[in-house]
Amino acid sequence: MDLTKIKAQAKKEISVINNSRDLERWRVKFLGRKSALSLFFANLKNLSLIERRKQGAKANKLREFLEELYRDNKERIAQQEKEIESWDISRPGTKVPTSHLHPLTLTLREITQVFSRLGFAIVEGPEIESEYYNFDALRIPPSHPARDMWDTLWLKSVSKKGRLLLRTHTSPVQIRYMEKHQPPFRIIVPGRCFRHEATDVSHDIQFHQIEGLMVDEEVSLANFKDIIETAIRELFSQKVKIRFRPSYFPFVSPGVEVDIKIRNKKSGAQEWMEIMGAGMVHPDLFESVGYNKNLWQGFAFGVGVERIAMIKYNIPDIRLFFSSDIRFLKQF
Amino acid sequence: MRFSYKWLQELVPELPPPSKLARILTLYLAETEVYSSRRRVILDVDLLPNRVADLSGHLGLAREIGAILGRKVSLPKVKLPPLQYGLNDFLKIKIQSPNCSLYVCSLIRGVKVKQSPLWLRKKLEDCGLRSINNIVDATNYVMLLTGQPLHAFDYDKISSPPEIIIRQARQGEKIVTLEKKAYSLDEQIMVIADAQDPIAIAGIKGGEKAEVDLHTKNIVLESANFFGPAIRRASQKLKLRTDASWRFEHSLTPELAQYGMEQLLSLITQIAGGEIITDKSWQKRTFASGFIPVKWEKWEKFLGWRLTSSEIKRYLRLLGFSIKSRKKYLLVSPPCFRNDIQIAEDVMGEVARLYGLDNIKSVPPVAPLTVPPKNELWEFKEELRNWLRGYHLEEVYNYSLISQEETKCFPSSWKKVFIEVSNPVSNRFAILRPTLLCNLLRNVAYNFNFVSEVRFFEIGKRYYRDKKYQERTVFAGVLASKEEKEKDLFYQVKGLGETLFQQWGLTREDYFQKKMEQSEYKDIFVTGVSFSSSNNEIGIVAAVPQKWLQFYDIKGSVVFWEFDLERLLALINTEREFQPLPRFPAVIRDISLFVPQGTSIERIVRTIQKAAPRYLEDVDLFDIYEEKVRETGKYSASFHLVFRSPEKTLTAAEVEAEMKKIYKALTVIKAVIR
Repeated sequence: MDLTKIKAQAKKEISVINNSRDLERWRVKFLGRKSALSLFFANLKNLSLIERRKQGAKANKLREFLEELYRDNKERIAQQEKEIESWDISRPGTKVPTSHLHPLTLTLREITQVFSRLGFAIVEGPEIESEYYNFDALRIPPSHPARDMWDTLWLKSVSKKGRLLLRTHTSPVQIRYMEKHQPPFRIIVPGRCFRHEATDVSHDIQFHQIEGLMVDEEVSLANFKDIIETAIRELFSQKVKIRFRPSYFPFVSPGVEVDIKIRNKKSGAQEWMEIMGAGMVHPDLFESVGYNKNLWQGFAFGVGVERIAMIKYNIPDIRLFFSSDIRFLKQF
Repeated sequence: MRFSYKWLQELVPELPPPSKLARILTLYLAETEVYSSRRRVILDVDLLPNRVADLSGHLGLAREIGAILGRKVSLPKVKLPPLQYGLNDFLKIKIQSPNCSLYVCSLIRGVKVKQSPLWLRKKLEDCGLRSINNIVDATNYVMLLTGQPLHAFDYDKISSPPEIIIRQARQGEKIVTLEKKAYSLDEQIMVIADAQDPIAIAGIKGGEKAEVDLHTKNIVLESANFFGPAIRRASQKLKLRTDASWRFEHSLTPELAQYGMEQLLSLITQIAGGEIITDKSWQKRTFASGFIPVKWEKWEKFLGWRLTSSEIKRYLRLLGFSIKSRKKYLLVSPPCFRNDIQIAEDVMGEVARLYGLDNIKSVPPVAPLTVPPKNELWEFKEELRNWLRGYHLEEVYNYSLISQEETKCFPSSWKKVFIEVSNPVSNRFAILRPTLLCNLLRNVAYNFNFVSEVRFFEIGKRYYRDKKYQERTVFAGVLASKEEKEKDLFYQVKGLGETLFQQWGLTREDYFQKKMEQSEYKDIFVTGVSFSSSNNEIGIVAAVPQKWLQFYDIKGSVVFWEFDLERLLALINTEREFQPLPRFPAVIRDISLFVPQGTSIERIVRTIQKAAPRYLEDVDLFDIYEEKVRETGKYSASFHLVFRSPEKTLTAAEVEAEMKKIYKALTVIKAVIR
């Protein structure tokens, strides 16, 4: 075949190719071992030296041309094919294994962080506690009817400071801390507490509390209100409604209960929910740890962490926290 | 306590409507709910423990409502029926117990016992009491009115010579109460007795012996003041709580005993007739209460806002407090029924309460700007949690108490150190967990219902007894699979531990890895590794033995770990120092070895390190192949060897020379190059 015809035909055929399979066929046809061009080269040896040189140069030129044509079209087709095989962006991405922190950790963290920002130090105390720290030092002797507010799990034991028990609240850390530190100070005490209680959706034998204590020369009831309002607003929202009303704990005077108004998820009605017991520290506590009770004053409070978490995450049953059910844990 | 709205209405003029009243009481006194019973309105007031003594009667609550509304409500004076004196001729009263400070007693002769009038029955019903007969109902009515518990005995059933003796019971003495229940008494329990038997458990419950019934003609009425703590102790001991014991244990004022008797005498003669014989002793007694000085300057400092002296005085007067104004302070004397007011703070608190705690204007405290001290353990726990979350472990919180049944799996060496609860709620929560293992296995068993792999961790306390009662903060966890892949899980956890240590800047010089036999957990686990510092054990990583898996009904493999966080924290040095970047490139050679089973990786690494100390920078295990151990007795291990000089670029020949030394050393431990 004549080289110009080959060139023309190759050009014509490649112009309509639109996929790599046909392109490959084209390559074999025009550049393969059995192609007309290859035959042409094979036949060169039958020609005279001068003719061979002349025709050889022509054929080489054609081969270069065809190779370039092939490369250009290969690129064109690859580009076309990529566009055809488009990305399904709705397909989910590759999963990264993740896990979750417990809702109580998240809640404890949020509360402690708010108070840390307000300059409160984090302090912890023992869960196995003596009757002295849990009750007597807090003005709750066995004969005091108020002791019934704390149903206690006692331990089989006797210690020097009275019987041992599982602390029913974080308040004993008030005494423990004051015994070793001088005012002024502000602390919060997160920790696990226990009650001798039949369990139901809102009661369990263990729960977590955060105790707060601020002592200075002039920390007043009005200051207490401000700190608590600030903290609650940080935790819930700036618009949350807060209510203060009288309460009683033997280790404070006066005693205060703090409620917030939340939406009842069932009825949709707004209702008050108790979230905190508090009050001004009873001067007897200062006296028992050796402070000058005429100089120092302050406030203390206790928040139930489960209760806050239940409100924040809309959890209906306190026992879920300790269920370790993966279907529960994965939600946080 | 249940209060009848209608009754309160009779005592307080222009009482606000029920729901408004409940709202006011909640804000100014105690949480109050309204509901209706038999179409009558009931207020349920959750009385605070310090106010039971003065508010457990309708009169007390009426007085308090008056104070809150800004009106003064005083106790109505009782118009006493004619009294005859000479009780002593009919009945001798002998107070032999120190727990009785006042015993007011009267006799009414010729009463007619019958059903109570409707108005009386309705009031009892409203407050949740059952009507019995006019005499018993009268004592209950007066209790609900005044708060003073009262009791009536049938005079003719009292053994002769007729006496009332208030004494402590004798050990083993018996009494059958009005409910026909028998109680065995002891010296801690006070009784009201006649010449022969106890006829009542003082302040708690009447006895069957002198019960007032429809045939009763002559009655003995008791209105006494008992020592609160004594009644509380007895009531707890007998596990018998009554309306009377509840009031008495809150320490009532003796004046109430007098007033209660006056009310009772008046009511009974009205509804049951009879003539009263009493004595004069109780009528004239007065009880003084002291003055509490409150400095004027203290008010603003304590409450946080300025109150005028006239405001202060107005609130205190509304509450019935007597006051004397001095230049520097106010002398305040609370009424006798307010035994909860003892110190200046109590007085100021009362003013704040009447002002309205909710009405107080918040004031930001003024305090020095100090940096709160850092709590290292707390921050360590927080950091650890974040890290573990990144490692794809779910956080759990478990109960600190485990069940009696779960203790079966423990070896005796562990049982010895258990801390037990003496009054468990149930066997499910009987013993403080000595390790977090039990809880976590429970979690695995439960979650295998939903998933086939469990990756949990918990930061919490374990508890045991040595010389002291110990509670130690630990970081524990499990990797569990329904498949048999214990070994794989073990190395995953071990890797986690080692990586954590590395993160906190610990090198292999700071801690040791020991065999399980050297661990304090050795009686529980067989296969595992113990990590320790030079002083003590930090923790373990171990495969959970079959016995435990069977107990918790787990089919699969579980690897458990537990680290003591305080011990770990003590080791950690988070200060980091920059190391200059290497100036010359490293040369890396890989070798693969066939190693006799039983030769540890640690031994191989040490052999290599020892053989070529000059340029060898690191030996890094990157592959282990154990499939053919059974047939050949050998396993295969591959290492990257990293060579580097701080002074020059190493030549191939220099590295080759080092490698030759390593090959030679390896032949000594029978490791063959693959």
